[in-house]
Amino acid sequence: MSTATYIYAVVGAEVELPEGLAPVGGGDEVAIIDHGRLGAVVSDLARDRPLGGRDDLIAHERVVNTLARATTVLPMRFGGVVENDTAVVDELLGHHHDYFVWALEQLDGCRQFVLHGRYDQDELVSSILAADAEIRELSDSVRDADPDATYYERIRLGEAISVHVDRIRAADAGFARERLEPFAVAVAPKDPAEEDSALELALLVHRDRLADFEQAVDALGDEWDGRVRLRLIGPVAPYDFLPEPTGES
Amino acid sequence: MTVSQRQGPSRVDRAPQGDLAQVIDLILDKGLVIDVFVKVSLVGIELVTIDARIVVASVDTYLRFAEATNRLDLHQKGGKDLGQVVGGLTEGVTQGGAKGKTKGMIEAGKEKFDDLRDERRSRKEREA
Repeated sequence: MSTATYIYAVVGAEVELPEGLAPVGGGDEVAIIDHGRLGAVVSDLARDRPLGGRDDLIAHERVVNTLARATTVLPMRFGGVVENDTAVVDELLGHHHDYFVWALEQLDGCRQFVLHGRYDQDELVSSILAADAEIRELSDSVRDADPDATYYERIRLGEAISVHVDRIRAADAGFARERLEPFAVAVAPKDPAEEDSALELALLVHRDRLADFEQAVDALGDEWDGRVRLRLIGPVAPYDFLPEPTGES
Repeated sequence: MTVSQRQGPSRVDRAPQGDLAQVIDLILDKGLVIDVFVKVSLVGIELVTIDARIVVASVDTYLRFAEATNRLDLHQKGGKDLGQVVGGLTEGVTQGGAKGKTKGMIEAGKEKFDDLRDERRSRKEREA
């Protein structure tokens, strides 16, 4: 069976692979190909096997993020496959050696975290009702009415609330950013995924500031207690902070 | 700038990685793209990725906010005016149909997730 080489990430040459990493696509093992000051994290992959099932996605994520907890990692996007190990050395690590070394230096000692915040919807809507008499009136007018007959009124009501939510969300995002930015190397806001999302913030944190950063997150959680539920994910690979490859290196 | 030591347990949930949808967003949309670096020896492997992202139409969002005001009215008026509460409750029941419809899409998405999770778990169990 003909195989190709699947690539997960680029790391520094000195990196040791954690044991027990399961490869994407049922290959034998995850390995590192060294070249110069770099290593490419790879495994064999059957060429005729389509990729993208959840096991594949999870396997990719596990390999990259297990490494990311131990060292600085440049994660490849899912599905990167080249002809063989020689191509990894010649075309990837060899040809782009200086870029990868530079990018690893930029991210040295840093880990990405993602902070999710979710509103307590009842609290959120209560505060909007309390603040806006027009919305209160609209809410009163549809409450006792036939829901089908007031379909458009209810949409208008929800839309009016949604305008407030957008404003509150922007203020909260700004506030969280202000509180956490002093402890982060970089911050990247992401689009809130759902209607009760309060916050979605990717943060790049240096290990020297990690304790302070986590304390600041906890303090924010205390301050927003009952209003916004926070969830801190990570450390993960610095997906949102990869330095752009500029031209040919 | 330092933050003073806090008392008591943290109110922030912590997790090593996000849920499946968040993981998928990261590894499919982010990360270095191999095509940028490798031109000659690139192998095109068929990608059959599941689209686990749930799109919520804005109208559904609006209707759910409207429902939330209704629910709050019930909380707040409960015990004060029996007539209104009973009226509210009946309304809640008749509204069930419409609510079912607007929430249907999201819940279908979530059920799909749960299916995926179950399948993964059961496969692992089989292997064990």
